[in-house]
Amino acid sequence: MATFELYRRSTIGMCLTETLDEMVSSGTLSPELAIQVLVQFDKSMTDALENQVKSKVNIKGHLHTYRFCDNVWTFILTDAQFKNDDNTEQVGKVKIVACDSKLLSQ
Amino acid sequence: MASSNVSTVYISVIDDVISKVREDFITYGVGDAVLNELQALWEMKMLHCGAISGNIDRTKAVGASTGGTAGATPPVHDLNVPYEATSEEYATPTADMLFPPTPLQTPIQTPLPGTDAGMYNIPTGPSDYAPSPISDVRNGMVINGADPKTGRPSPYMPPPSPWMNQRPLGVDVNVAYVEGREDPDRGVQPQPLTQDFLMMSSGKRKRDEYPGQLPSGSFVPQQDGSADQIVEFAVSKENAHQLWSSIMNKQETSTKSVTPVIPQRDGIQDDYNDQFFFPGVPTEDYNTPGESAEYRAPTPAVATPKPRNDEGDDDDEPPLNEDDDDDDELDDLEQGEDEPNTQHLVLAQFDKVTRTKNRWKCTLKDGIMHLNGRDVLFNKATGEFDF
Repeated sequence: MATFELYRRSTIGMCLTETLDEMVSSGTLSPELAIQVLVQFDKSMTDALENQVKSKVNIKGHLHTYRFCDNVWTFILTDAQFKNDDNTEQVGKVKIVACDSKLLSQ
Repeated sequence: MASSNVSTVYISVIDDVISKVREDFITYGVGDAVLNELQALWEMKMLHCGAISGNIDRTKAVGASTGGTAGATPPVHDLNVPYEATSEEYATPTADMLFPPTPLQTPIQTPLPGTDAGMYNIPTGPSDYAPSPISDVRNGMVINGADPKTGRPSPYMPPPSPWMNQRPLGVDVNVAYVEGREDPDRGVQPQPLTQDFLMMSSGKRKRDEYPGQLPSGSFVPQQDGSADQIVEFAVSKENAHQLWSSIMNKQETSTKSVTPVIPQRDGIQDDYNDQFFFPGVPTEDYNTPGESAEYRAPTPAVATPKPRNDEGDDDDEPPLNEDDDDDDELDDLEQGEDEPNTQHLVLAQFDKVTRTKNRWKCTLKDGIMHLNGRDVLFNKATGEFDF
């Protein structure tokens, strides 16, 4: 199953990466195993987002920068508004990184 | 409400990951304690940055166990070898070291030449050194033969398979190849003695690993057996180190690394600058000082652009291009990302991205958003941006 490493940059992914790095540095964990864990995280995170999350979000904003490289879209928005059912978040600057969802189904 | 939802998802992800890597850990001969430590650390970090809430029952339970593991496990780890600290059963590792409990489990052991057998009479080979049995064996013959007490892993290496003796040529080739890679590994582990002890004590673990190692063919020195079967992509010991550090680097520089990929070396200034060499032109904004010099220097160059540009290539172009890539504004934006928690970030998959004039529309799915210090997950998102 293909996975994206994309989510490793999320909070939960960074926490995991830090943890693994600490354990590898201290010799508690071998790098091979740490990589295994990360790969599993990619799968589990993708899976959870697909199956456990139901919410929808609307994003509006001024597109400051766009980039499409290696099948990854990167948008940098300024004055962006994120709306979901019960909440609205306003941020001055946000970066959106999106991989091609079609790559996963292959 | 929403955040507790996120918390629930995160915890289920953690559980999922932990439960699914358990098998790998077992295969690698790493105890549950290490896995628990991983989970505890991970959840602790999540709690710290507020990604999960502490008032979930399960989290509390884990938190309690965190204290336990944190208190007991880490010190042991530091003193001992990588994975071994976890095995409670090795209360008296020395006994294991001296009299490996399951020497018969390494069937390859038998082919050893009688002369060298003395060196290999402790056959417990840890996965750590399995990757390069050949070089180690060779070292064992040469180096350890002279100084068997150096503590190098070779004595405990899995014995070489018979083919080694039969085909010395193959051995030599491999040795030359492997040894170079093995060296850094040694540098990294300056306390071979301790490591050896641990490995030796790992008679149990070896049993788990060997099934994988034997069939995979001891021919390829980098295969450490344990990884070959379980891992989807083969990660050898040495590679794993590199791969791991590359992963770590990538995490840090992932955004920046994108920029250099787009080469601006299309010789923009060739014609362009010749025509617009007047310093007051807007192009100055993104020019480097180096290029300004280029402007100033040769007025006659306009007439003969070629030679001047050739010179300019050496002195001015590289910095110019680098700077071009880093476009000031973008740079600022990406710099901001280095500060943790201040950067708002959305990680998602896109279904479709379209543009009409300056109006962009995109549909995203399966996203993690980090906005204003909070994590929000979404299943679908639509975006409308104007450029």
